[in-house]
Amino acid sequence: MMPKGYINTIGAENLASTSEEFIDKGSKKLVVNFTDVQFINTIGLSIFLSIVQNTLECNGLLCFTNMKKDHREMFEMAGLIKHVKVFKEEKDALNYLNGRS
Amino acid sequence: MPFNALQEKDFFGRLPEQDNLIKRVLQADRGQARSAVLSGQRGIGKTELLKRLFGRLFWTQDRVAPFWYSVNPALLSITAFSKTYLFRFICQRLAFTKKDQSLFYHDGISIDGLSTLVEERDAFWAKEILDQYMQCAEDPLDALRIALAAPHRSMLSTGIPVAVLIDDFHLIQGLHLGGVPDHRLASLFQEPMAHGKTPHMISGNMAELQEMPLVSGFDRVQLHPLGPEATSSMVLSLLNTHEAEGTMPPLLIRHLGGNPFYLGCIVTRVCEKNNPGEEDFWNAYIQEIMDGTLAHSWSKVLKSFFPDLGQRRTALAIISKIYHTSDALSCQRIAKFFALTDSQAHDIMQRLYLAGFIRGEFGTFRATDDRVLRDIVDSLSMREILAKSTHDLEEHFHGALVPQKEKAVRFDMTLPNAKDAELIVAESLEQIGKNLNINQEAIGQLQIAVIEACINAIEHGRGMDDKVYVSIAAEEDHLEVSVESAGQEFIIQETGEPYRDQEAAKTQGRGWGIKLIKRFVDNVKFEKTAYGTKIVLIKKIEKSASVHQEDTAIRE
Repeated sequence: MMPKGYINTIGAENLASTSEEFIDKGSKKLVVNFTDVQFINTIGLSIFLSIVQNTLECNGLLCFTNMKKDHREMFEMAGLIKHVKVFKEEKDALNYLNGRS
Repeated sequence: MPFNALQEKDFFGRLPEQDNLIKRVLQADRGQARSAVLSGQRGIGKTELLKRLFGRLFWTQDRVAPFWYSVNPALLSITAFSKTYLFRFICQRLAFTKKDQSLFYHDGISIDGLSTLVEERDAFWAKEILDQYMQCAEDPLDALRIALAAPHRSMLSTGIPVAVLIDDFHLIQGLHLGGVPDHRLASLFQEPMAHGKTPHMISGNMAELQEMPLVSGFDRVQLHPLGPEATSSMVLSLLNTHEAEGTMPPLLIRHLGGNPFYLGCIVTRVCEKNNPGEEDFWNAYIQEIMDGTLAHSWSKVLKSFFPDLGQRRTALAIISKIYHTSDALSCQRIAKFFALTDSQAHDIMQRLYLAGFIRGEFGTFRATDDRVLRDIVDSLSMREILAKSTHDLEEHFHGALVPQKEKAVRFDMTLPNAKDAELIVAESLEQIGKNLNINQEAIGQLQIAVIEACINAIEHGRGMDDKVYVSIAAEEDHLEVSVESAGQEFIIQETGEPYRDQEAAKTQGRGWGIKLIKRFVDNVKFEKTAYGTKIVLIKKIEKSASVHQEDTAIRE
């Protein structure tokens, strides 16, 4: 998944529904690439919390890649980072996930 | 008389309040109007709003008759009060029927004159009331009851409800029979005020009104200070009235806290000069707080609550102490500090509270938010207690108030309540960072904090003035962003911290906002302002080394 721009209510809700669709179809490994994310606010952050919860509930794995330092700090502050795998690049996440399967 | 109200063009930022009051009053024709009290600090425009309400009711509709009465401290014997109240009501009620404002000026009319007038106009309802009043002339209490019930009785006879608008209502507590004020006399208003077809809209000194049991159950219509836009429009209009041109410094506008009376005094003073500059505005302000209408109006309040000179000096010293102490002070501490008995301290504090000099009615007292009043108290205490000269005062206030040539680059913007408005500030910060060669990491962190501050401000100002005022100042070593909104109840008084309101708390994660702001900036201040609430974010900055190198290369 590649969210773009400002992750606020609408942006994060779109992301949440996309992740739910993947999970419903049986995908348990999700990668979120933050390259094009410009800003995240706390409303967006709270919706990310529900994405993390949904993934954990189905024993899935969520990977974040290409995060800016500030955005990573936001997720750390919210206590979400410990529930996801963070990679520098998307390809690193994909290699990791392929290696696990 | 209400016809000396300001012209429409000079009355700013009160349309929602006017509409609210009109709507409230017009419910009288269904018998469902509730009496209300206009609430707000001195000079905020309560009287003017009542006058405006009278004008609109008088000229623009026929459903509800307005009656205006301003309590005169010189006419508080119940005999004098009853007569003026009743006679003015009858004159104004007759005036309303024919839209004849000449009847407003029959202030000194005799009882015979009024009887003749009533007969000429075939106002049988008024004749009945007058006859009854004359029969009770020997019993002042009965006469008062008849006067106060006159609006309701006229409604019963004519079918037209009456909106009773009373200014300076707190003075009613001074009603007296035989020279001794009797607070119980005010309770005679209770019955007329309870009728749904004769709503009473009252204003006056809020602290004193709050103490009156009669008013305690009233709805409160709060008048907030003027917002920045209404303030600027008002200043411009006042300058035009004086055929002057000039721009009041934004810092001074903020200092005046959206108080129309204060604004009017400064503009009137500054217009003694042709085309005043910024310095002239500051000088006018300093003159006003030292010896102008502003200073005199507050001195008058102080004198009315402390007629004795010795006690006034003590009161002034106490206010000054409270204004220069960050903690709230109890009566016991004041008593100890000024060598007073607890009872003396309590009496002085109670009077200072009622006069509007201090806040807090539960045993501890704080300074008012009114920065102008604080300056006036400083001026008074420096002159009266410390015996400073006028020159010393001028020098003090000039140094304390007038900004030196600013080193800061400053950007001001107003955000509407629109989708993603906070991004405008975040994007602006990015450009400011580029223009001033500020480290991009610091800008990124400040952007995150500012987005949260703006979202909070928009949430907390919702339902009031929906606008959010943002100011970005780039100093030598830090960026300062202030975000101000109309939310009045955003800060917990005791801690100075904002609270998460219930709606925000329901949204999972919204409580992270303040935590996140604190994480990404170096200092956060929360301030209660006259307009509402302000959060100030301070971020230390370093200029980008790479850009400095480029600059050096270009210079070489």
